[in-house]
Amino acid sequence: MDIPTITQQLFNALTLGAIYALIALGYTMVYGIIELINFAHGDVFMVGAFVAMWMMTIPLGLTGAVNDPVQIALILIPVLLVTMVVMGIVGILIERFAYRPLRSAPRLAPLITAVGVSFILQNIIQAIFGPSPRNVPQVISFTNRFDVLGAHISYLSVLILGLTIFLIIALQLFIGRTSLGRAMRSTAQDREAAALMGVDINRTIAATFFIGSALAGTAGLVHGLYYGSIIFNLGFFAGLKAFTAAVLGGIGNTTGAALGGFLIGFVEVGAAALGYSRWSEALIFAVLVIVLVFRPAGLLGQQVGERA
Amino acid sequence: MKFSKLAGLSAAAVIVVSACGGGASPSGGATVKIGVDLPLSGGELPNGEPTLNGIKLAVKQANDAGGVNGYTIELSVQDDAVNGVHDPQQGAKNVTTLAADPEVIAMVGPYNSNVGLAEVPVTNEAGLLQCSPANTNPGITKPDYGALDVRKAHPDKINYVRVATTDDIQGPAGAQYAYNDLGARNALIIDDTETFGKGVADEFEKEFKSLGGKIADRVGAPKSTTDYTSILTAAKSKNPDVVYFGGVTTTGGGTLRKQMEQAGMGDLPYVGPDGIVDGSGATDGSFINIAGAAAANAYGTIAAIHDIPDPTAFSDAYKAEYNKDPGAYSAPAYGCTQVILDALKNVTKTSDMAALREAIRAYVTGGNTFDTALGTVGFDENGDTTQHIISFYKTDMTAADGAGDWVFTKQQDFGN
Repeated sequence: MDIPTITQQLFNALTLGAIYALIALGYTMVYGIIELINFAHGDVFMVGAFVAMWMMTIPLGLTGAVNDPVQIALILIPVLLVTMVVMGIVGILIERFAYRPLRSAPRLAPLITAVGVSFILQNIIQAIFGPSPRNVPQVISFTNRFDVLGAHISYLSVLILGLTIFLIIALQLFIGRTSLGRAMRSTAQDREAAALMGVDINRTIAATFFIGSALAGTAGLVHGLYYGSIIFNLGFFAGLKAFTAAVLGGIGNTTGAALGGFLIGFVEVGAAALGYSRWSEALIFAVLVIVLVFRPAGLLGQQVGERA
Repeated sequence: MKFSKLAGLSAAAVIVVSACGGGASPSGGATVKIGVDLPLSGGELPNGEPTLNGIKLAVKQANDAGGVNGYTIELSVQDDAVNGVHDPQQGAKNVTTLAADPEVIAMVGPYNSNVGLAEVPVTNEAGLLQCSPANTNPGITKPDYGALDVRKAHPDKINYVRVATTDDIQGPAGAQYAYNDLGARNALIIDDTETFGKGVADEFEKEFKSLGGKIADRVGAPKSTTDYTSILTAAKSKNPDVVYFGGVTTTGGGTLRKQMEQAGMGDLPYVGPDGIVDGSGATDGSFINIAGAAAANAYGTIAAIHDIPDPTAFSDAYKAEYNKDPGAYSAPAYGCTQVILDALKNVTKTSDMAALREAIRAYVTGGNTFDTALGTVGFDENGDTTQHIISFYKTDMTAADGAGDWVFTKQQDFGN
């Protein structure tokens, strides 16, 4: 392999990893606060991809690339914000109706409703958009690119990477520096004690779902823009890989989830780069097994007090 | 990995379609059923539906003509798609249901080769004749490819026939097209790691090498793959001049073509088997629809005859009934149904359904020839069609009012 190819693959891995990281954050936040593996989270990502696709194709009437950078910003910023808000509300509704009534039930019960929600989301999308793959208008053309060490880097992958890093840092600051973030951390540590200290538990958990789902919606938008097609069962594998990323990093730990997401991206692209794409799924889970054997709590562990 | 979560649900979605025409049922006529197993939901509806319509049309015409040999024909239609994708285990369940129904005298299907591999052990055991309009994997029929393990229960009693020819002809045909017609010498081969996709890609690779071509790289990408750019980036430095995809649109054919542009390989010709020749760009989820403008310069093979003896008679009847053009496998499905109906006409009438089922199996696999919409069709000692014809298509982005469509370029008889 020569330098241009390696550089190119590095960016391929970072872009894919960024998408997994955005999804993994939602998994880990929800686990951190209510110890629920939210199996519907992959499907929240999928719904986000469809919401973004719908906005770009129907109200905006886009079919392909747009050339004017100002126009691109005028399209993508509202699409991103609306997708985040819509998915955040979807997240709150899921929590309100599928998980909150079962909050004191045995832990298996919300796990089953999570699987149920996953099916409901898939079937709703299938009913509205049909069962076939759907084309997503790739607003930012791949001909808009610059060269680094002989590799062609599209502005879109830089944008995806920048957006992801911005959101990860913003999330860290939010959890660490704001009063709602402090409420999340205290709820994660001890829900009852937090309630006694005057933390509104329901509002705090709803906020956690809002943020996690909004991040998944963001991942859905960038996935469509970058890979160009989406299908109603997209969330199943993406969710599984992002869940693996969250476990790999130490579930409940937001920094760990971001790290795990990028790591999974590197494993998947690394397998393809070396000609072992046939084995990429097996490799991802092999890495998970190896890491867990040596570090059962994941790479960064569950930093109690930091998790949220 | 299987999307088996919905298996239970779609097993319940069994539809019995009465295909009775307006005509009175023949006096004293018994009713017999022809079973159907196709992927009829999910991303494969564009494949399954036109195929099912071919079957329905043949049955409707037979019933309108007063039935066959005094029998009225009904269909028992099963869907083998689970969560939107064809599923071998669901197929095996469906044929178990069909075999257990005494009124089912024979069946048409399945569409996908890995489903066929899972179904034949069941239907072979039950002695139920199965005619597939679209299966092309040689492993289902040919002993050299391990078919004796598939029909283990009764290796001598052939119960599976097909009117599509096999991938050991389709794969090499694609290779010859890439080498001779497109002038390619260095092929990048990507398969979807499934029975059909990997099988046809293997045959392509063998033939391309024996013609003197080089293989730039051979990689597998499971259907859950969304990122093909890393595979393409890795292969790009080996300077391929053609890409062959072994697989179908739902396992990544269109997405791969779209991402070739992204990886700077958009100007390479792209060749694929029948799984990518699936309708115009106006059909949501078809190869051309997903790949968009990148679909230009793509070529596909169909393992069946294109220039059928009387094309207008078939397509006019089809259009009159369904108000659209037939799909790639509508005529083969119609032909399969004709084979079964022809056998029903020629065997002795009986009310013993088990005897009738066996008589039809024996007649179809007994060296008889059938006059069908596909021309005269016969089946060899393994149940494969004696018609070894491959049709070639390419994309024309100006067709279908600018949405792009597949246009027929030529057909070739690969003889025996």
